[in-house]
Amino acid sequence: MTPSRRASWTLALALAFGMAAAPVRAAEVRVSAASSLTEAIQEASAAWAGQGGDPVVFNFGASSLLARQIAEGAPADLFFSADEARMDDLAARNLIDGKSRKSLLSNTLVFVVSAERGAAVASPEDLLKSEIQTIALGETRSVPAGIYAREFLEKKGLWDRVRGKVVPTENVRAALAAVEAGNADVAVVYKTDAMISKKVRVAHEVSVSDGPRISYAAAVLAGAKNAEGARRFLAFLGSPSGIAVFQKHGFLVAK
Amino acid sequence: MTGLLSSETAWTIAFTLRIAALATILMTPAALGVAWVLSRKTWRGKSVLETLVALPLVMPPVATGLILLKLLGRRGPLGPFFDRMGLEVVFTWKAVVIAMMVMSFPLLVRGARIAFDEVNPRLEQMARSLGAGEVRVFTTMTLPLAVRGIVGGLLLAFARALGEFGATVLVAGNIPMKTSTMSLAIYNYVQIGRDDRAWPLLAVSVAICFLAVWIGETVLSRRGRLV
Amino acid sequence: MLEITHLELPLAEFTLDVHIALRSRVTAIVGPSGAGKTSLLETIAGFRTPRRGRIELDGETLFDAGARRTVPARRRRIGYVPQDDTLFPHLTVRRNLTYSTASRDDGSAGSFDRVVAVLELEPILERGVANLSGGERRRVAIGRALLSRPRLLLCDEPLSGLHPELKDRILAYLQAVGEEFPIPVLYVAHDAAEVATLADEVVAFDRGRVVSRSAADKSSRTT
Repeated sequence: MTPSRRASWTLALALAFGMAAAPVRAAEVRVSAASSLTEAIQEASAAWAGQGGDPVVFNFGASSLLARQIAEGAPADLFFSADEARMDDLAARNLIDGKSRKSLLSNTLVFVVSAERGAAVASPEDLLKSEIQTIALGETRSVPAGIYAREFLEKKGLWDRVRGKVVPTENVRAALAAVEAGNADVAVVYKTDAMISKKVRVAHEVSVSDGPRISYAAAVLAGAKNAEGARRFLAFLGSPSGIAVFQKHGFLVAK
Repeated sequence: MTGLLSSETAWTIAFTLRIAALATILMTPAALGVAWVLSRKTWRGKSVLETLVALPLVMPPVATGLILLKLLGRRGPLGPFFDRMGLEVVFTWKAVVIAMMVMSFPLLVRGARIAFDEVNPRLEQMARSLGAGEVRVFTTMTLPLAVRGIVGGLLLAFARALGEFGATVLVAGNIPMKTSTMSLAIYNYVQIGRDDRAWPLLAVSVAICFLAVWIGETVLSRRGRLV
Repeated sequence: MLEITHLELPLAEFTLDVHIALRSRVTAIVGPSGAGKTSLLETIAGFRTPRRGRIELDGETLFDAGARRTVPARRRRIGYVPQDDTLFPHLTVRRNLTYSTASRDDGSAGSFDRVVAVLELEPILERGVANLSGGERRRVAIGRALLSRPRLLLCDEPLSGLHPELKDRILAYLQAVGEEFPIPVLYVAHDAAEVATLADEVVAFDRGRVVSRSAADKSSRTT
């Protein structure tokens, strides 16, 4: 190869590498957060940025998936899970900074149906009706929303009778979307999810006393590159102004 | 989001294109080397190499992705090494590059090998009799005469890398503005019921792949000599 | 001076079995097609490996089965003009001619100009190879081999595949080459008459073996 050809190849490679590498940003905080938190935590982080906080980069998904990613080495600074069990999992692997762990929020389970022509599901027992053919739930062994839903249905003695109708989804928002799209008759999601969608309506709300104990856990991760920024962000989320944002979106404060 | 292309969509398209290009470029030397060896040499275990190279083409992509995750993740054999070097691989753009390279490799090897097979070995022999060493034979005879087939293979490999999903989703996740490729973003949007955001990505994906394959086919099928 | 000692190379229908020392400047090996002449040339050039025997050129051992020594084709400095020319299709005539680095080594364009002049290649130097006539291709192949500054030139059926008028012209070129460049040449042909006029010695060859050898009868040469 002639020298000039070699030079152009080197240049092309260098450019490609340069372009591909994520630009080095000054201290961003990388947060892996449950899908149900999407709108609320984004609004909170905007408020925090307004106060001069480090820019926050989000990775939303089912808490089970996020925990798995972290266990496999995904780079993140803060993990905000929709249940304690996923956090316990990471704690057992020494992947979190135990001292930073907080249980900030709770939520309510609701049954949602299509806003337009949704069936009447006034009580959990209505799931047994023959017109209810598909029930969208987060995957019931991993996704917290799915686990909570199953716990509740088991408690009501309904699980074995309705599990044949269950369509498991990757995360709670996918369950919501299934009802929005008319692909499922009913979904069990968080009240906070139902609030963001105009295409569904809440057919039944599970009361706090009746339902499973829902608790969102948050912690700074052991391998965090920006642990300091993560701590500050978490502190903000737990502060009165942070909590107010979550409440506005329908979250309950943890007891 | 206003407009046909939100900034996140634009980022996703640009990211996918440059990562796929990077993956294709990075694997080209190795792919050409393997293709040349498969074309020109025979030895007892040759079919083992051929099978290994073809594996990512036939295995379920998620299976390949899982293997990569196990190899490159924190709990894998390379995990401690990456940790010590301060290298983040899984769930970053680097993992996307690796997944694309692994999945596209067989396509490029295949195209290049066929191209090398079609080069008349007598021409290489003649070059040798005129004093050319093996490297010069490769760069002045084999490669120029195989260029058309290699370019076709490159375009196919690039198109495959663009569309890569199964392996990528496992080993790189779908982190917006970090590892989200067009395919991953489409999947995610459909999942959460935002088809409206999936459509522009779908249109761009199809257009690019169509272009890549169409150029590949016309380049490959043109008769006559490479001028 | 080419010495071939007990060379054995199994072919499809018989075994090449050659034992001969060639000392003439121009030797013609003639025999019917299928006699193994091309295989012999390819073996001397280094493209095929005999099972047994030795090849020595000007005292240098190019191949010795017993001692397991073999010099690769690229270092033998033997020019080879095959029956089908095997021109490089992606290069111009000029680049075909100058492919060998030896052709440029000496720095002087002298030998290039000489070869081009003798073979009258000037008009076609910048042409691509695809549209050359049979005669032109032959001349380019010869020129290319010459320009690699070989110590031995092998020509396989240099007049085959050409129209009769063309044969005479190529013959004239070959004679001119023989006069201008003092390199030992080994011609192979199935028609003795064709190359007899060029050769100092004629070796008859059949079914892989030398049958007879004799000094060429040059009386039939015109001029």
